[in-house]
Amino acid sequence: MSGICRSRLAEERKQWRKDHPFGFYARPEKKADGTLDLMNWQVGIPGKESTPWEGGVYKLVLIFPDDYPSKPPKCKFVPPLFHPNVYPSGTVCLSILNEEEGWKPAITIKQILLGIQDLLNDPNPESPAQSEAYVMFKKDKVSYEKRVRQQAKENAP
Amino acid sequence: MSSGTMSEDDFVGSDYDDFDDSQEEEEDSDMEYEQAEDIGFSDMITEKQRKKAYEVDFAVLPLADILAAQANASSHVSGILGVTQDQAAALLRSFKWNKERLVERYMDHAQEILDQAGVVLNDTKPRVFKRPPGFTCMICFDDSYSSDPAVGLRCGHIFCIDCYRHYLTQKTVEEGECRKILCPETKCNLVVDEETIKKVVQPPTLARYRQLQDRAYVEDLDNLRWCPAPNCENAVECRLPHSSFATIVPTVMCACGNKFCFGCGLGDHQPAPCGLVKMWQKKCADDSETANWISAHTKECSKCQSTIEKNGGCNHMTCRKCKYEFCWVCMGPWSEHGTSWYNCNRYEESSSTDARDQQAKSRASLERYLHYYNRFANHEHSAKLDRDLYMKTEKKMEEMQRTSDLSWIEVQFLKKAVDVLTSCRMTLRWTYAFAFYLARNNMTELFEDNQRDLEVAVEALSELLEKPIEREKIAELRQQVLDKTVYVGSRREVVLEDTAKGLAEGRWEFFMEFGKV
Repeated sequence: MSGICRSRLAEERKQWRKDHPFGFYARPEKKADGTLDLMNWQVGIPGKESTPWEGGVYKLVLIFPDDYPSKPPKCKFVPPLFHPNVYPSGTVCLSILNEEEGWKPAITIKQILLGIQDLLNDPNPESPAQSEAYVMFKKDKVSYEKRVRQQAKENAP
Repeated sequence: MSSGTMSEDDFVGSDYDDFDDSQEEEEDSDMEYEQAEDIGFSDMITEKQRKKAYEVDFAVLPLADILAAQANASSHVSGILGVTQDQAAALLRSFKWNKERLVERYMDHAQEILDQAGVVLNDTKPRVFKRPPGFTCMICFDDSYSSDPAVGLRCGHIFCIDCYRHYLTQKTVEEGECRKILCPETKCNLVVDEETIKKVVQPPTLARYRQLQDRAYVEDLDNLRWCPAPNCENAVECRLPHSSFATIVPTVMCACGNKFCFGCGLGDHQPAPCGLVKMWQKKCADDSETANWISAHTKECSKCQSTIEKNGGCNHMTCRKCKYEFCWVCMGPWSEHGTSWYNCNRYEESSSTDARDQQAKSRASLERYLHYYNRFANHEHSAKLDRDLYMKTEKKMEEMQRTSDLSWIEVQFLKKAVDVLTSCRMTLRWTYAFAFYLARNNMTELFEDNQRDLEVAVEALSELLEKPIEREKIAELRQQVLDKTVYVGSRREVVLEDTAKGLAEGRWEFFMEFGKV
């Protein structure tokens, strides 16, 4: 599959432009010379309605490895997000993004973004990635929600 | 073994050497024969005759036997369930080769079990076929026309053969997976069956896949373990239950000569049981160097026991944690020093004596650990030095053999001596880990007596090997080395017998609980 990385990403971009879920965006970064860098994408994921995440659009970068889609892309919130399953660096901890767990080469960018959107209001307490959000989520739900709402405001488009 | 006891008697103490000389010389020629024999063969014979308390039964299985055992089990199951042998193997694999459980569950839930193992009965549907019209591979997103075939399981998720092959190669070669490779489609949990793998991947990948299956076979069975030696393809079978490894140290020896523990796969660690070894190693990895440093550079706060490093010249210390103020020299409270004394001369005050007692207690446990650790580490180090020495000596001996009338057999005694010495040092090493966890009682004292006897004998032999070799005295040296080697070996046996029996009888009292391996 060597060499299919770029063609697959080009095709993903085509499909995304044809159709993508409401409120999301995803585009390859621009290189200095104005051409597209298909290996690095900037994406935005909206918080679901009627959740404390509503109103925010959370920015990530997706970094694709050369052996994509054999291996999953690295997904990183920029700036890092307050969320139990997001590492202090911003990297997302999600089973479908782990090559030894749930990653399948047929998973598309759209599916990844929808998966991360689901994760926002449905964190997985089994694999905490940052202590601040995890501890607050476990011990003080009220403050946790307040903090999430505040974050949504800060991330309003 | 009569000659073994005899040589032991000969070495009750070196004081008697002179006294015994005349007698010894008379027997000398006889003894030489007897002992040469002793070293060479009678060890093996006694092993067969009577199993020692510290030995376990085991068998070495070469790769061919492992393959045969799998084939055997599959053909048996294929007969019972009426499936092909390959299908039976796949079913067995998903049941970790537990025949009884497979057959029992299969009778009730055949379909569920077939799905789980990725086996399809009476399956004639091709896995590899011509691309259907309008086909887009969901991995490479290629929708252009190609005569290359497509691949898909009965779930209907179809991908082009290149992507499928790459996916399977990634899973097997890169990730080492052979038990459960799923369809590449998102969220599809259908297992890719062996038939498909055979049809799609290239021969080297298939070979790797088979190798992984063999590996999984040995790993799945509790009574098998691979020999951990590099490039050794044997497995060792030991039928003892894993739960018994708290009281038995199952040291086995592969046909390649590698001696290891069946319970945990580490090198031979008799007499210490696996749980103890694990705990000890963890402690050493965490503590040894740190403990050394702590012991040399720090003291504990006499109030909250935090470890404190003195980083300035002043003896007026304030504990960062509990804010307790004390004097670094006498460890007593600073308040009793008044304001003007920055030199402590109040050694005998009762409060500072108490503080120092506290200090001493916490230090004692550290010192105790270091006592055992240093001896443990030292024997390992010495074993290496003994080896180095042997290499040098061997060269010298070979040279002697060439330049003098000594025969090859006459210069071989050193090798045996060094081998015995090394194994004794390894045993000694673990006796220190063992002793570290022993509670203080009479049993422990007996153990320490045995340990000391072995240690004394080992050091004596080690010293003997360091003696410069002179040609005139070589026969004498040889005799001494042979005698000491036998004696050391028998001391080791005493230690191992006693500890093994003690473990089996539950005679040892440890101050900690050891978990299972």
